[in-house]
Amino acid sequence: MGEIPRETTGSRHCINFDQVVRQREAQVLRTAFRILGNWADAEDVAQDVFLRLHRHGLDFANDGATGAWLYRVTVNLCFDRTRSRRPSQELSDVPSLELSAEAGVLIEEKKQRLMAALAMLPVKERAAVVLREIEGLSTAEVAEALGSSEVTVRSQISKALVRLRGILNREEV
Amino acid sequence: MNENEIRELFREMRDEPVPADSLARVRAGVDQRIHRRPWLSAWKIAAALVMAGCIVAGFVLLRPARKPAPIERPVAPEIAQVLPPVEIPAPPGVPVRTAPRPKRAQPRPAVEGVPVSIRIETPDPDVVILLVN
Repeated sequence: MGEIPRETTGSRHCINFDQVVRQREAQVLRTAFRILGNWADAEDVAQDVFLRLHRHGLDFANDGATGAWLYRVTVNLCFDRTRSRRPSQELSDVPSLELSAEAGVLIEEKKQRLMAALAMLPVKERAAVVLREIEGLSTAEVAEALGSSEVTVRSQISKALVRLRGILNREEV
Repeated sequence: MNENEIRELFREMRDEPVPADSLARVRAGVDQRIHRRPWLSAWKIAAALVMAGCIVAGFVLLRPARKPAPIERPVAPEIAQVLPPVEIPAPPGVPVRTAPRPKRAQPRPAVEGVPVSIRIETPDPDVVILLVN
């Protein structure tokens, strides 16, 4: 992929773009997967994100700015994609806890159930939770990525956690 | 499951590895789509040119046939060519026949008995100017 930015000028840019893709591909892909709920859509979004980065260039003040830009574009593309399709069926069925008794498997089951419950949330709340709780961004960074205020983000996360708890506890009953 | 458990599970998910084949597909897709662009743009330009050509050809072929208006060209003035009379040499021994010269009308004789000192003939045979002493 070293030849990727053929259209941009200079070999320095070429190396940097390649480096950024390798450094950030897991972040972009994981975030897209958490929001969209399936790997196929997440891969498409990740490709679009890096194509936009290629067009945009690497004129960022620092590494943090690059990451924030990538989060923002990823979230926006995920929003676009969820608008054009119905909620994912891949995670919409919350699996039962009674499937396995082994501890390791139980945690995996819990994660699956949590992801399934996450997929049921409104997409903006889901994105806020993914960025804040899974990706570990600060509230300010999440607000910047979502283009909203910190107050809104706190409210969205609080509501989302209440909903998640409700969904998961309802399933356990 | 309470809120702390949910947060704890989310934290564990943070470190989950991303499938290697997904990463490979993303890289390959980005690579392919970036390299495909020049070809795509060239293809688009070619398609646009072909379409434009088809539209122009359609206009030309489907236009109702119309007789072109005759172009009026300025008529060149005819220049009469005046050729010098060709003298055909008469064969020896054959008398040359010439056209009879028209006889000039003779003016009327002046009034008899009047002395005329000058007589001027005019082109009109009926008019003669006579200067009488």
